[in-house]
Amino acid sequence: MSHLKGLRARLRSVFASRKSESRMEEEFEFHVEMETKRLVIEEGLAESEARRRALVAFGGLDSYREQMRDGRGVRWFSDLWADVRYALRAMRRAPGFAIAVAVTLGLGIGVNGMVFGYADSLLFRKVPARDAEQLVSLFGVDPKTKQPNLISYGDFVAYRDKSGVFDGFAGMTGIPLNVAMTGSAEVADMVWGEMVTENFFSVLGMTPVVGRLFTANDAPQGANPFAVLSYESWTRRFGGDPSVVGRRIRINGSEFTIVGVAPRGFRGMRSFGFWPEIWVPIGMHDVALPNSARLLEGHGEGGLMTVGRLRRGVDLALTERAASRFAKQIATEHPAANPAESVMIIPAAVGFDNPAFVKPAVLFLASAMGVFASIVTLVIICANLANLQLSRLAQRSGEIAIRLSLGCSRARLTRQMVVESAVLAIPGVIIAAGILRLGPLIESSLAPHLQFRVGFGASVDSRVALFTAGIALVAIVLFGLVPALKASGAGSLSILIGAKRTSTGRRQRLRGVLVVSQLALSVILLVGATLFVRSMLIARGADLGFDPRHRALMSVNVALQGYDEARGRRFFDETLDRVRAMPNVVSAAWGFPVPFDTYGRTLALYIEGAETRSKDGTISISASTGSDGFVGALGLPLLAGREFTMGDSANAPLVMMVSERLARRLWPGKNPIGQRARRGGPTGPEITVVGVLGDAKFESLGPPTQARLYVPLRQRYRDLQTLIVHTRDDAAAAIPKLRRVVVAADPTLPVFGAMTMEQSVENGFSISRTAASVAGFFGGLAILISSVGLYAVVASRVQERTREIGVRVALGSTPRDVMVLVMASGARLGLIGLTIGLIGAAAVARTLGALLYGMSPADPFTFALVPVALATIVLVATYFPARRAVKLDPIEALRNE
Amino acid sequence: MPAPRHPQESDPLRGSIDLLVLKALALEPMHGWGIGLRIGQISNGRLDVNQGSLYPALQRLEHRGWIESDWQSTENNRRARYYALTKAGRKALGEEVEKWHRFAETMALVLDS
Repeated sequence: MSHLKGLRARLRSVFASRKSESRMEEEFEFHVEMETKRLVIEEGLAESEARRRALVAFGGLDSYREQMRDGRGVRWFSDLWADVRYALRAMRRAPGFAIAVAVTLGLGIGVNGMVFGYADSLLFRKVPARDAEQLVSLFGVDPKTKQPNLISYGDFVAYRDKSGVFDGFAGMTGIPLNVAMTGSAEVADMVWGEMVTENFFSVLGMTPVVGRLFTANDAPQGANPFAVLSYESWTRRFGGDPSVVGRRIRINGSEFTIVGVAPRGFRGMRSFGFWPEIWVPIGMHDVALPNSARLLEGHGEGGLMTVGRLRRGVDLALTERAASRFAKQIATEHPAANPAESVMIIPAAVGFDNPAFVKPAVLFLASAMGVFASIVTLVIICANLANLQLSRLAQRSGEIAIRLSLGCSRARLTRQMVVESAVLAIPGVIIAAGILRLGPLIESSLAPHLQFRVGFGASVDSRVALFTAGIALVAIVLFGLVPALKASGAGSLSILIGAKRTSTGRRQRLRGVLVVSQLALSVILLVGATLFVRSMLIARGADLGFDPRHRALMSVNVALQGYDEARGRRFFDETLDRVRAMPNVVSAAWGFPVPFDTYGRTLALYIEGAETRSKDGTISISASTGSDGFVGALGLPLLAGREFTMGDSANAPLVMMVSERLARRLWPGKNPIGQRARRGGPTGPEITVVGVLGDAKFESLGPPTQARLYVPLRQRYRDLQTLIVHTRDDAAAAIPKLRRVVVAADPTLPVFGAMTMEQSVENGFSISRTAASVAGFFGGLAILISSVGLYAVVASRVQERTREIGVRVALGSTPRDVMVLVMASGARLGLIGLTIGLIGAAAVARTLGALLYGMSPADPFTFALVPVALATIVLVATYFPARRAVKLDPIEALRNE
Repeated sequence: MPAPRHPQESDPLRGSIDLLVLKALALEPMHGWGIGLRIGQISNGRLDVNQGSLYPALQRLEHRGWIESDWQSTENNRRARYYALTKAGRKALGEEVEKWHRFAETMALVLDS
């Protein structure tokens, strides 16, 4: 209580400063008046004499005023304000320094916050569910391979209803959906969706943004044509309009009603997958996917991902044991289904994925590189700032020594230094906040443009902001407090007396170490950046094996639209006829997959005597289907034989074309034309090679080019096809016309992947382009900052050695000698930094090997270019201080001391 | 100065002023001049401190929560700031008196030996 009272009194005196002043004056005046009156009455003095004596008895009015102000903490604040003003004045005097600090600090903090934001959304951010840490996912474990599998609907129902292991258990499966607004062709689009069990949202404990989510009433099969939109889809496609609830849309040709919008930031439970835009009840499976295998039956391995909620007080290991016991029970009931005899349960608080699904090594390595680069950059920046501060300190050492000797306390001096750093840091923090906000924008340009949306979903939330603020604080302390402590430490007095050499020597060494480590880290980043850029350039120059110029692409999935095979074939033929009749079209064909498609497809061939590892003796080969005219439309070189014609119909003998590499692998030394194989297995239909095509890059730019096989669309009907159109001129201009041809055939059929082949190839480059631009950015930033650091060190050395240089010149040193003297000191730092950096870079480059295309990590060009670049930068950074040293007037220099 | 110093630790004289003020206020609430007057009376004029130094002491004690103050009228209808002991102040007075006695005894012991 007393503390509270005291605190209140204290706060009052600090914040109601004017009131406290007037109270003090009134009390003093009252005191003097009373004393005067007492003296007049008791001692019979005259009024004026009494007042004089009263004032004397009171003591120095002003000194008590000051004492009271000190006691109130007024002094502390007015001093702080003085420090801030002093810092601002210093900033105005050296605007270059202030700008350098603001930009480097802003970039460092901002970029680090951004990278953390990506990592956070990828690895740490919980899904927006109630008690997300209670969420888990269950996979069946294959009894033979021990690999985790998705489970079947039958098993799912058993776990949900009979196991008693979970406090709620839901299932989902992802599907592409053809979506069209009823009666409006413009919004026909193919989107990624998920079919979920009706309890999905209630297990997650989510509340809708508008409308409702699914409930137990949505369970009956086939009776609930309802859809829930993702928040992102709702804002992007419907402008966040709440009246979207109740609107009808066509999904895969059937009418559905939108019932609600899922919470903001919910992008499905999978961490590495497409972002679902629409959820529909799994009971609608047969309506949404009319011609597909039945999902809602069977036991054993299946197609469902699951998410369950742990029972209160039961941990994951215990749940896994209980669920595994239950799995054995299911296994004995359904022995025919090759059932799992145990399960694997993984935490799902931040989303999850099939544990067997290897996180794309490239993505992982790239994000590791990003984090590494950004941390290294921050270290460089802090070292640089500390260095700049130290060099300013050297200039101000005289001032500091005088102040200390005049009785300024060390605490007071330290505080001033910290205030100065903080004032310097504020513009940097503002810049950082701006960069942080760019994060989500930059993400969208870095993420590959696949058919459906993917990404980290980076956003600027409180965690990212906190992390960034934390870095800022560390940076400020590192570059403000450390030099301040050094300044107030021993040796300051010696500066004043003139014993300069000893203390500056120690400081110079520290700063040398800082600059060397900056340069070494920069070399590492620079080598990485050069490797990535070179790799990208080499990949770009690589021969694709087909002609990407003047080619337009456009895809459809007619099965999702409910077409049967006959209607699909009719659609493909008619569309092709119309497109070929368009002016400006050289040739056109259907094919799937086309080069650099999101998908890959394989076909199993059985060849007598061929080596294989598979059980059934077949070889799995990457394959595309193509209509007649496919070879010409893609610009593939036909090396031998013929391409597909109208004659290769469903009833004609089966034919195929092979790539040169495949021909060499399957029939080495023989003429591949006329060779036979069996499709699917030893008893499959016979299929004959009629043509050989040149090798082409289909799946990625990386070596080696895959062996490939082509079969006619007429003999192998596939409902997902891409229209390939060779145009006479600009392919991009043809795309809207092609779209109109498809719309004329079926206004509700969505087309997707409409782009030129060159754009598609660009997409194939997206990872290497991202890596190159990220690495290039960090490399450039690091070397820029390091060169500023080197400049600062050399410049301040020149300043500290002014007298020495003056003496040398006076004793007959030529300008050239002085130049060499100064530049040699910079060059030595550069050389040490380069050597250490190259050793580190060689180690880092080795780990990058997997990301590099067409070159060795020990690329001689890179390891020659980087030292040359660094040498140039060292020369430039030391030249300017050296020139200043040369221009020194020896008389001035000596008088200066 | 970043924080107000604790007087009894660094400055025995200032500490003793604090104690005297507390003692003077133990009887009844009083204004600054009155406190000075009372200290003079109790000590028979032997303690001659600068009257002005009372005010930083009062501020210190108030910040510590040992006394509180408000405006009141004197018997001559003049506005004055009156100080009064808080409960914590009364307790502190006991402890400080105790401490002072121990200190004086120790000093006496050392000086008489």
